[in-house]
Amino acid sequence: MSEKLLIVKDLSTTFATAGGPLPAVDGVSFDLEQNETLGIVGESGSGKTVLSRTIMGLQPRTNVTVTGSATINGFEVVGASEKAKREIWGTEVAMVFQDPMTSLNPVMRIGKQIDEALRVRLGMDRAAAKARAIELLELVGIPSPVERYNAFPGQLSGGMRQRVVIATALACSPKLLMADEPTTGLDVTIQAQILNLLDELKERLKMSVILVTHDLGVVATRTSRIVVMYAGRIVETGNTRDVFYHHRMPYTRALLESSPKVSNLSHTRLTTIPGRPPNLLNLSDGCSFAPRCSYATDQCHLVRPPLQAADEPGHAFACWNPLPTTRGASSS
Amino acid sequence: MRRLVMLIGIVFVISIGSFYLIHLLPGDPAVVILGTGASPAAKAILFHQLGLDKPVYLQYFAWISNVARGNMGTSFISQSSVAATIRAALPIDLEIIVLSQILAFAAAIPAAMRSARKPDGALDRLLGASSFTLLSVPPFIIIVLLVLLISIKLGIPHTGPSSYVTLASDPIGNLESLSLPAFTLAIGSFVVYYRVLRSDLIATLQEEFITMARSKGLSQRRIMWRHAFRPSSVALLGTASVNIGGLLASGFVVQYLLAIPGLGYTLITAINMSDYLLVQGIVLTVSVGVVVINFIFDFIINIVDPRISRE
Amino acid sequence: MSDNRKDEFATDPLVGDMAQGMFLAEEATLVEKPEKTEPLGILFWVCVGWIAVNVLAAVLANVLPLKNPYFEDFNNINVGPGLHHLFGTDDLGRDIFSRVVFGSRVSIAVGVGAMIIGFGIGAPLGMLAAYRRGRFDTFITTIMYVLLAFPAIIATIAVLSFWTPRSLVKIIIVIGLASVPLVYRVIRTATLSVATKDYIIAAKVQGATDGRILVKELLPNIAPIGVSFLLIGIATVITLEGALAFLGLSVNPPTPSWGNMINEARTVLAENPYLVIFPSVALCLFLLCLNFIGDRLRTHFDVTEVKL
Repeated sequence: MSEKLLIVKDLSTTFATAGGPLPAVDGVSFDLEQNETLGIVGESGSGKTVLSRTIMGLQPRTNVTVTGSATINGFEVVGASEKAKREIWGTEVAMVFQDPMTSLNPVMRIGKQIDEALRVRLGMDRAAAKARAIELLELVGIPSPVERYNAFPGQLSGGMRQRVVIATALACSPKLLMADEPTTGLDVTIQAQILNLLDELKERLKMSVILVTHDLGVVATRTSRIVVMYAGRIVETGNTRDVFYHHRMPYTRALLESSPKVSNLSHTRLTTIPGRPPNLLNLSDGCSFAPRCSYATDQCHLVRPPLQAADEPGHAFACWNPLPTTRGASSS
Repeated sequence: MRRLVMLIGIVFVISIGSFYLIHLLPGDPAVVILGTGASPAAKAILFHQLGLDKPVYLQYFAWISNVARGNMGTSFISQSSVAATIRAALPIDLEIIVLSQILAFAAAIPAAMRSARKPDGALDRLLGASSFTLLSVPPFIIIVLLVLLISIKLGIPHTGPSSYVTLASDPIGNLESLSLPAFTLAIGSFVVYYRVLRSDLIATLQEEFITMARSKGLSQRRIMWRHAFRPSSVALLGTASVNIGGLLASGFVVQYLLAIPGLGYTLITAINMSDYLLVQGIVLTVSVGVVVINFIFDFIINIVDPRISRE
Repeated sequence: MSDNRKDEFATDPLVGDMAQGMFLAEEATLVEKPEKTEPLGILFWVCVGWIAVNVLAAVLANVLPLKNPYFEDFNNINVGPGLHHLFGTDDLGRDIFSRVVFGSRVSIAVGVGAMIIGFGIGAPLGMLAAYRRGRFDTFITTIMYVLLAFPAIIATIAVLSFWTPRSLVKIIIVIGLASVPLVYRVIRTATLSVATKDYIIAAKVQGATDGRILVKELLPNIAPIGVSFLLIGIATVITLEGALAFLGLSVNPPTPSWGNMINEARTVLAENPYLVIFPSVALCLFLLCLNFIGDRLRTHFDVTEVKL
């Protein structure tokens, strides 16, 4: 278990846009153990989706610059050719996309969409691929998979479609599964089912999972570690427990306060984060969160805070005026 | 099912329109059909044949039931059966159209695929500019210029005016004599198909399911053909369907220039000789044909894209 | 050339654009997208100039120092282009240049006249149907779709072949009526996309009369689509007239039109290619400029493609 499955070092993704270079991901580093689940959390536009695609190498080939390094099971993704990356896509790393309404080909039978990966990547013959595809549909909990094999995506509900997307991602037994907001497009009741399914599959298939979400509630019980992103950078990272209970970065607290909790009384007013996320085309030299932060000082506006280690192992945050440590006060 | 009702309704409207063409004319239909110098005997025969002594709706029923049995009357000019004349001419139109469509699709699909892979690339710009220019060149100019170049300057046999060779007598010569018409129609179709498919492919390639296909590790070729082409081909088929009427008309023009005895040439000859029954028969045949072909295309589109039938 | 809007960000869409598209969608709140309107460009104005020159020449043809387009000079038959006859003469010794100029009158008259009829009937109906909706809309739309299914070109040929003797006015009426369903469909679709917008509803709530909303609110919003479709429509109608003239179904000779000049030229194709080349070039250039202007306006106003 000491072998790291994924090592991300100083990864940056910059888009060339009409308005100038746009740093969507800026100097991100983290790593992932075998059979671990990591959460990447942030508001819309924090760069988490771009980050997850860059790690896979799925970013556009033109108008974008990627620097730094991301190695999946020893394979350096950054700078690799599309052809080389095809070798790891599906077998080493696979992605569950955000919106099952758009990520399945609407004019292709779902069975075909699963077994084409098996046939092209694993060289299975038609019959074997079909059998395996039906097995996969069963694995992700689709009732009467034999009949569903011939269905078109439009004939399935959103939750069922997302199960198909998951089955497709699992087809070639990837070691790392990237789940990019896998439940955003779904009904609340279906969300938990899909997340539980991912959990269960991870244990059963001995995968590692990166769960990208804007909802801290989603990652609370399902991840061992969390990366909090803001404006393309990591602002806090650590074990899930530490991030929840001993966070130092005001942004993390704001995120936590803005997510609803079951324990809240009904009609509890949710806190919102004041202001808007910054314009990435026009970032200041200081902390990107400073304009929205009530603790901000002149230093925050002028100098960017580096990630610094907190008391707990593996816990780090980027803030000049961190929240006081709660260790000792709350004995956990 | 709703479409079928619509189809029957449209065919009905077309038949009334064709039937009424003669009645819409000012003056005595018999004079219109036979000319002013017709003998009373000929008028009487015509009156009987058209049932002009009966009420209009009975005339229509008499006419349509004849037509349904394949009897469109006998031309007063050539004394030959209208239906037989049409049956002899129609295969030539079909051959020209089929040949032109094979050429147009064979060129437009690969061209659009390449363009869409690199929009604004050199090839895309070249094809974009040239297809836009060709869009403004009417078929009757294309065919005249082709005749000028191919049959007059280069002297390729069977390609000039009045050199049509039947399929039965000489298949190769037949192909030669239909090559310029087919090519002319193909150019017009290619331009439209290329532009429609290209812009649709570009839109499709931005869909999330293309990224998903990519993330499965599929080759670019496979993604283009298996994932991008089929959803994009719906607009292409729709365009081809709408194009049929225009193709027939363009076919008329080229046949007229080259004196190829298809429906178009027959139609213009009939118009010039005031052979109104033949004109009526051709208009009816062609209009119903176009509507039926459109209906078949609708059906194919439903199969290609299962989303449409559910909407 | 026509789809610049759609592919504005597209560079290599297969491996390219979707991630960026997804990204831009996600970042829409953060990144203020620069307001970019496609510049019209020099070529646009060249085309406008060319159309203006053509129209002016057609209107002023009688006043301009042109040779008589009907004068048959049997001493100068099939003369090549030169100083005396700029484009040469035809098989009857008539001056091709002046016949091309006079020929443009028919094309332009048919193009403009037919579109006046087409828009005069189709546009108000389309706007009303889209604004009123309900049974009125269903009724008109059904009729128009049935008419649309009837191949317009065949119908035009059919009616013109029966309605003799042919004249410019009859041709304009027939083609104009044949274009009504198309104009109706385009205008109705355009109006629908505007009529459901909030400011229209707001105007209604404030008690503006229907007539006022149609003229003051809807009309200015669909005008760009209308104008660009009008230009492309004129080009299409001119093509159709050309084809009819080529088939001998348009104005009767010796009145010159671009189409019937090409028709007459086909008998002397080998002897005098100039007779076909000059009217062809004149027609194609005119159509190209109209299409280009229409297309540019469409992309300029960011209107989705309309099909004719």
